Amino acid sequence: MQSPLSSVHRWVWRDARRRANNLLRFAEVEADGGRDLVRAAEQTKDPLLRRLFLVHALDEQRHAGLFRQRGLALLATLPAGRDGDGRTDWLAPGERGLDDLRVEQERDGALLAFLHLSEKAAARDFTHYIAVLDGDPPTREVFEKVCRDEAFHMNYTHAQLLRVAPKDHGRLLWMARLRRLWSLYLRFAGALASVIGTVVLTVQYFVFLPPFALAARRAQRREPEGWTPIAAERNGAALKRQY
Amino acid sequence: MKILGISAHYHDAAAALVVDGLPVGAVQQERLSRRKNDAAFPLEAIEWCLDSAGLEPEDLDAVVFYERPMLKFDRILVSALCAFPHGRGAFAHAMKNSLGEKAWVRGLITAQLGVRRDRVLFTEHHQSHAAAAFLTAPTRHAAIMTTDGVGEWATLTVGRGQRTLNGPTRIVLDREVRFPHSLGMLYSTFTAYLGFSVNEGEYKVMGLAAYGQPTFVDQVRKVIHSTGDGAFALDLDYFAFHTTVARSYSKRFVELFGPPRQAYEPIDLATPDGRRFADIAASVQAVLEEILVDMTRRLHAETGLPDLCLGGGVALNGVANARILRESGFERLFVPPAPGDAGSALGAALYADRIHFGNPDRDVPDHPFWGPAVDDAELARLAGEDGLPVADLDEAALIERIADDLLAGRVVGWMEGATEFGPRALGHRSILTAPHDAAMRDRLNRDIKYREEFRPFAPVVPIEAADRYFELPPGGARLARFMSGVFPVRPEWRERLAAITHVDGTARVQTVERDMAPRLHALLEAYGRRSGMPVLLNTSFNLAGEPIVNRVVEGYSTFRRSGIDVLVAGRSRIVKRALAQASPMGPNEPREELA
Repeated sequence: MQSPLSSVHRWVWRDARRRANNLLRFAEVEADGGRDLVRAAEQTKDPLLRRLFLVHALDEQRHAGLFRQRGLALLATLPAGRDGDGRTDWLAPGERGLDDLRVEQERDGALLAFLHLSEKAAARDFTHYIAVLDGDPPTREVFEKVCRDEAFHMNYTHAQLLRVAPKDHGRLLWMARLRRLWSLYLRFAGALASVIGTVVLTVQYFVFLPPFALAARRAQRREPEGWTPIAAERNGAALKRQY
Repeated sequence: MKILGISAHYHDAAAALVVDGLPVGAVQQERLSRRKNDAAFPLEAIEWCLDSAGLEPEDLDAVVFYERPMLKFDRILVSALCAFPHGRGAFAHAMKNSLGEKAWVRGLITAQLGVRRDRVLFTEHHQSHAAAAFLTAPTRHAAIMTTDGVGEWATLTVGRGQRTLNGPTRIVLDREVRFPHSLGMLYSTFTAYLGFSVNEGEYKVMGLAAYGQPTFVDQVRKVIHSTGDGAFALDLDYFAFHTTVARSYSKRFVELFGPPRQAYEPIDLATPDGRRFADIAASVQAVLEEILVDMTRRLHAETGLPDLCLGGGVALNGVANARILRESGFERLFVPPAPGDAGSALGAALYADRIHFGNPDRDVPDHPFWGPAVDDAELARLAGEDGLPVADLDEAALIERIADDLLAGRVVGWMEGATEFGPRALGHRSILTAPHDAAMRDRLNRDIKYREEFRPFAPVVPIEAADRYFELPPGGARLARFMSGVFPVRPEWRERLAAITHVDGTARVQTVERDMAPRLHALLEAYGRRSGMPVLLNTSFNLAGEPIVNRVVEGYSTFRRSGIDVLVAGRSRIVKRALAQASPMGPNEPREELA
């Protein structure tokens, strides 16, 4: 099925430098996801899950290697230049499902539900990328390899969810869906708040701070280079002060 | 008195607990949260410290934060103002960053721990470094130098300390170099320029330096020059860290040194760019060493003291430390196992105990093992659940068995006792192998550590044998106690110690005294009896991007995911299944593993 965003995907993946940078960032995301899975393996009391999480973590590590290798190979074919024309990985998310998850606070069932949805989303996204990568067979091949593993991850997480929470898996999946939605909202709200904060602070910077900036610069000019003596009272000064 | 020290919020958060003048526990937050260089408020580390001592927060007489947050905020704010109108980004970032949590440390501590406000104390950043270096060192009277990126305003301080057993303690810092002039920021700027992560990649710059020639020394001297009074100053036209959070060097810096390396580009020393990067690393290393040697030489002349205690992140530069020891005139140089910000948690607690409360001085045990201990039964349980055979051996048999493993060229994950406090694995959370073959170094880099080929591995040797294999100057064995110095491998041994001999013929050696690490010492001796050389390669027990392992389950998962052949935790030993099945007839192979 063609993605409604296929023209966006096509644009994102058309430029070779952008493609390389996206792949290199995917490599980081996969490596981070792998570390989270290692943490999950170390936390669980279920030996079978531990083994599966470790296998999964090794897959993620391998994916990171594949993305990195391909990204570097692409970069090597390009003339030296600046680091792309802006980041576009937010338009082409990799497998970033675990980045806002506190693995150590999760029970096995909730974690499996979350993993299952993340893998499913990643498999869907990667399939879309494969569809627009006709002009770059080696990159397409990397995504195809990764996608095959994602299918396995999607299946085993679902099977294990049914095993560890036979009566509760439906609720856990819905909870995980809602949590993904909530975290998406938080991410959006956080970004918006950050933008608003930056605008307000920038206005303050230019409206209220120039006299203070002048004073600070004057004080800076008076400051000598080299050693500054430390006043005797600072040694052993009252430790109750924060300043 | 029960005093908790905390460092947090910038890099490498940690907690340390001092009871009646002595540390009882200290651990970096990253070892518990499993996030490398975790800077978050170290709640887990605090909980561990209190739990291990059987204390509740209300039992604490004081909680000491390792720096003065409002003074730090003052520096950040003033720097943004001085950069007007170009500092708008830095200003917005600083405000959002500091006013969120970092400026309200007293409130944060009282809210998180429930201690009374008047029990929360603050030391200055460099006082914490000075205390961590001086109060843990086996010396009574010493010169002190602390140097790092920046604390509140100070980036480098000098002074002296004096302590009397069961009597008073004095730490007096006389003078300081102030932000933005900073040796740590200089080195970090080059770290960023060379495409490595700041606060993490500085080791890589030091390792890379050995492959280069200092052909850019004149250019480096343009960006940092000596001041008439024996200190130094940066030419700020070449830097941007004081005006923006986006980058640390300016366009002029790039004009002077050429295009920077992108983080993703591998360093290929066969290419002109690769050689240029190595030469730049060698040059900044050389200039850093010159400046430190000059400053410590002056400090020695001024104090006339035989001992120097060195603290702050720059003290992790083992090459510079070795030159200071050789050339400054000081007879002994003490660098604590955690000279950076993590160690400041312990420094802050000790400073409050000795200086603020005026408690009598006590000798702090001279070892780095202050963290959580290995649970001896855990490995057997994990291996049993996964159907891996496990051998539980008595102490002597285990040592002999592991020595056999090492002689057979196996890579051993080694966990014993309490974890180290500080960035280095000093024998309680280590990967050990035979040090003889360069192929072993390449295997470690490729299959286990997944790291750049130019980074060297360190040797560990009993202190009695160290001088035979390494050219240690007077005081060198002491500096090597916590792996704080880089010294030449004796030429006649370099070929047989190929895996730990760096390209310039040096090694960051660790000397082991029986008293500090009896088990590792015994293993080295057992290996020496077999190989004729009691030296092993010792690298931290972790994979790239992960903190050093803490609990057995973390060692186990690392073992399962990497090319480590043998894992030892407490008295339990397991091997990879394939290995156990591949050599059933070997005389040293345990029969019980073949079941």
